[in-house]
Amino acid sequence: MISKDEIKHLGWLSRLELTEKEIDKYSRQIDEIIRYFDKLDTIPFGKGELAGPIKTVSELRNDRVEVFEGDPLRDSKNRKDGFVKGPRMA
Amino acid sequence: MPNHLYQLTADHVVSGIKNRRFSAQEYISQILERIEKVDSNINAFTAVNPDDALERARSIDKRIQDGQGTGPLAGVAVGIKDNICTKGIKTTCASKMLDEFIPPYDATVVKKLKESDAIILGKLNLDEFAMGSTTEFSKYGPTCNPWNVDYVAGGSSGGSAASVAAQECTLSLGSDTGGSVRCPASFCSVVGLKPTYGYVSRSGLISYSNSLEQIGPLGKTVSDVMMIMNVIAGEDEYDLTTTEKKPASFAATPDTMSSNKISNYTLQTKKNIRVGLVEELIEGADPVVSKCIYSALDLFAELGCKCENASMKSVQYALASYYTIAMAEASSNLARYDNIRYGFEFSPEDYEWNAYFAKVRNNFGEEVKRRIIIGSYVLSAGYYGKYYLKAQTARRMIKQEIQSLFKKYDVLIAPTMPILPFRLGEKIDDPLKMYMIDIDTVVANLAGIPAISIPAGFENGLPIGLQIMANEMEEQTLLDTASAFESIVDIHRSPQI
Amino acid sequence: MAEVRIGLEIHCQLTGLQSKLFCLCHCDYRGKEANTNICPICSGIPGTLPLLNQRAVEFAAMISLAIGCKVPNLMMFYRKNYFYPDLPKNFQITQYNSHEITTVGVDGEVDYGDKSARIRRVQLEEDPGRLVYEGTNADTRFYTLIDYNRAGTSLVEIVTEPDFSEPKDVRLFLNKVTSVIEHLGVCDTKLEGSVRCDANVSLEGGKRVEIKNVGSFRDVEKALSYEITRQKSMSVRDIEIKSETRHWDEARKVTKQARTKEEEEDYRYFPEPDIPIILLGNEFLSSLKAKMPELPDERKIRFLADYKLRDHVAQVLIENKELADFFESAVKIYPTSPNETANWIVSDLLGFTSDLKDDEGSLFSGLKIEAKHIAELVSMIDKNMINRSIAKMILGQVTKTGQMPSHILDKMNASIIDNRAIISETIERIFESEKSAVLDARQDPSVTNFLLGKVMQLTGGRADPKIALSLIKDRLAKLE
Repeated sequence: MISKDEIKHLGWLSRLELTEKEIDKYSRQIDEIIRYFDKLDTIPFGKGELAGPIKTVSELRNDRVEVFEGDPLRDSKNRKDGFVKGPRMA
Repeated sequence: MPNHLYQLTADHVVSGIKNRRFSAQEYISQILERIEKVDSNINAFTAVNPDDALERARSIDKRIQDGQGTGPLAGVAVGIKDNICTKGIKTTCASKMLDEFIPPYDATVVKKLKESDAIILGKLNLDEFAMGSTTEFSKYGPTCNPWNVDYVAGGSSGGSAASVAAQECTLSLGSDTGGSVRCPASFCSVVGLKPTYGYVSRSGLISYSNSLEQIGPLGKTVSDVMMIMNVIAGEDEYDLTTTEKKPASFAATPDTMSSNKISNYTLQTKKNIRVGLVEELIEGADPVVSKCIYSALDLFAELGCKCENASMKSVQYALASYYTIAMAEASSNLARYDNIRYGFEFSPEDYEWNAYFAKVRNNFGEEVKRRIIIGSYVLSAGYYGKYYLKAQTARRMIKQEIQSLFKKYDVLIAPTMPILPFRLGEKIDDPLKMYMIDIDTVVANLAGIPAISIPAGFENGLPIGLQIMANEMEEQTLLDTASAFESIVDIHRSPQI
Repeated sequence: MAEVRIGLEIHCQLTGLQSKLFCLCHCDYRGKEANTNICPICSGIPGTLPLLNQRAVEFAAMISLAIGCKVPNLMMFYRKNYFYPDLPKNFQITQYNSHEITTVGVDGEVDYGDKSARIRRVQLEEDPGRLVYEGTNADTRFYTLIDYNRAGTSLVEIVTEPDFSEPKDVRLFLNKVTSVIEHLGVCDTKLEGSVRCDANVSLEGGKRVEIKNVGSFRDVEKALSYEITRQKSMSVRDIEIKSETRHWDEARKVTKQARTKEEEEDYRYFPEPDIPIILLGNEFLSSLKAKMPELPDERKIRFLADYKLRDHVAQVLIENKELADFFESAVKIYPTSPNETANWIVSDLLGFTSDLKDDEGSLFSGLKIEAKHIAELVSMIDKNMINRSIAKMILGQVTKTGQMPSHILDKMNASIIDNRAIISETIERIFESEKSAVLDARQDPSVTNFLLGKVMQLTGGRADPKIALSLIKDRLAKLE
């Protein structure tokens, strides 16, 4: 059973300020979903990480510079002297 | 010549404009009128650019008038799912977290469409961040099924399918992570293709699950889908997971109105297509759906194809594997939405950073938050081996099993959806029940193979779609088979809207 | 006595590249206005994908080989997931040792002096952006300023086993690693912030304390000494040492508890899906080995064999690439006496360089010295044009003026020698060669004039006679 504390902790890990109501609802729903995932238990342990496509080093891009035209952050609302304003650190 | 230009297929739009039977402006104007007329009932579009579209139409007309060349999709009205970046045009993923995001760049597919002289009409509705199967999880409200507006259009590319079905645009682009192009294509009775993984660039597709998703085209016919694939497919230097160096050049089959020509066609394709119906993908389906699919199998047999039942044991792990991997990747992909560089109006001043992040991020919708939480769970220390690694191992098994099936069969068929479209709100309170309807579509994403949904029939006025799958990079075989089926099944109707 | 165990995590920016690790922006962000060295990829705009830099992979593999690591056949990247305002995607693309695949380098070893340290792993990863918030502006109590110019530049992280027990060994090791990196040409270690080092320290059986925020390699030794003392004094009083992260306070020269909550974060590592598995392969590795620049150890062997230098002299030279290059340039100009050349560099010239000079900037900054100066100086000594004391004096002048030694000598030959040391040395030589006269001079004062005459002869008539006479008299007086 996924406890409410676990949901709370996962919420923190994912930076989601969940309400009590949400924690309640999610713990029930997520528990059901995770128990469905337990189907995977019957799969024997194997090389799961080496699953993707492969490329050789020579297929990678050359080390060259191309300056991006314009300001990618032009439409950000919080700018000051070119910096992006963020929340305080402490 | 149909009464209204919005009824035309893409090939006829292109030839009509080129040969000056009508102007691009006329065509686009009619399309825009159509949108005005029907979209308030369907809610397929999140944004429309009428001025820009007409401007481009005018310019194409002028170039043709001046005898200049134009691209292969010149004048064709295309809608773009709102999780694909369009430079200068708001791209929101139907989420508050990207409320005011204006991309500073075009997705590669958008660039390619512009180069082909297609006209981008606007952005199309979706489930928030492409997470859903009904387009009910959108801040813009749900998209309704043009065949019956009390029913869901499918998802997550609901807008992409409904707009084509309702003839609000001729072609559209969606994205398919676990069925998000095929499901709405099936529910809305249009053609929807998920290409081979890595065939179409994901640069500019706002990530939900990187190892599973592909941008996919939707259209009224298989031939239209081929036309747009020729433009968007191919290796891209901005996406390392693309591989195919040869440009796509899918040829439409000859005009297939006579069965004579169809038999010729199958004889022409050096071998009889071997068709396998995957048992595990049909056994849980609604009886009316199964009936339709079995009829489809019969039609293939009549064509001269070798038809058999095929079995795929690893299907039992498909949903668990799919959702584990998709949610894991999603939880990481969505971490960047902290409202600092893009998002909605809410100043970070005077907030401590952890508190600010947590506060703004709680503006994700419910389904998205659920997936982020589950995704973090299956990746967390202690659970990574049990869930994520096992899911990837299962995925390898599925891929291996499907490839051994492709030694015996050229294509595999199944229903696209195990059920008919259902009423709005029906499954929205039961997440797991909602996930279960993806059972037929996730297999293709896990294996990275191409899959298409084509209209196969109707029941009580609600569409049923046939799904055809082929091996990696076998799009030509897939599209040929779909095209042959399309001509014999002969469904030519439009929703009364 | 409690045994100290120290392990290091060295971060080295690949400043030798042109572009960043995953995009085409300039990799040199220094001195640029905030957020002017960015693109959609490195600023984390949605929909962008990482474009891996081929040369960065080469550099990382070269570093691995140079410090004795095994480079695997297949290489993957992983995501390290955590939130922080300087992290554009709120995850870092890095590498990880899983049971299926390793990072770009594992299980290496580096000799330094007569000791050696094992390398646990080498990994290639991206640098985050920069936060500006401490003490710059009263307003930063309410907000932080973020600059993404640095975000996405290539970093190679080198992690050692806890094989060090003394801070001074760490310093020697870091010198060696710096030299290796410089010889590879992958990083200009003199650029501000291009190399950083974190350390972890534990007393035998005790908990590990991580020390972060050490600005330069030089400070690492200081920080470690402080931390070891801190831990020992706690242990002696039976106070428990907590496992924690501490920051080095440069101004007050102490380590202090990290203000931010750096508790055991769950980084939820998983393979980066946007980057395929990279096949390195034997061909790649052998071609890389073939074009590897000469490394310090090899260079030393060559110095001993070709130039017949003494071991400790060669050692000093190779510890600093700039010094070794300077030596070889000088020898190229004047090949006759490499030993003499080396000695002048290692004993005399180094003496002119400021001790307080940090690891940043050229070794010779502030000195107007080039290889050609040393080359000419040595040739002048060989030709007996000058003696060593004069040579030393000339060297001093060279470093101040940048003029050629021969030029300075010319000027000197026209001027009076009033340098007591030089005159004294001349007097010593005369006392050696004119022993009988010296004996006579003790009886007969007029013989002092003879000695004076000899001094004048030897100094080309330039010695100051008053000083010379007075020194001769002093010297005679000392003879009993």
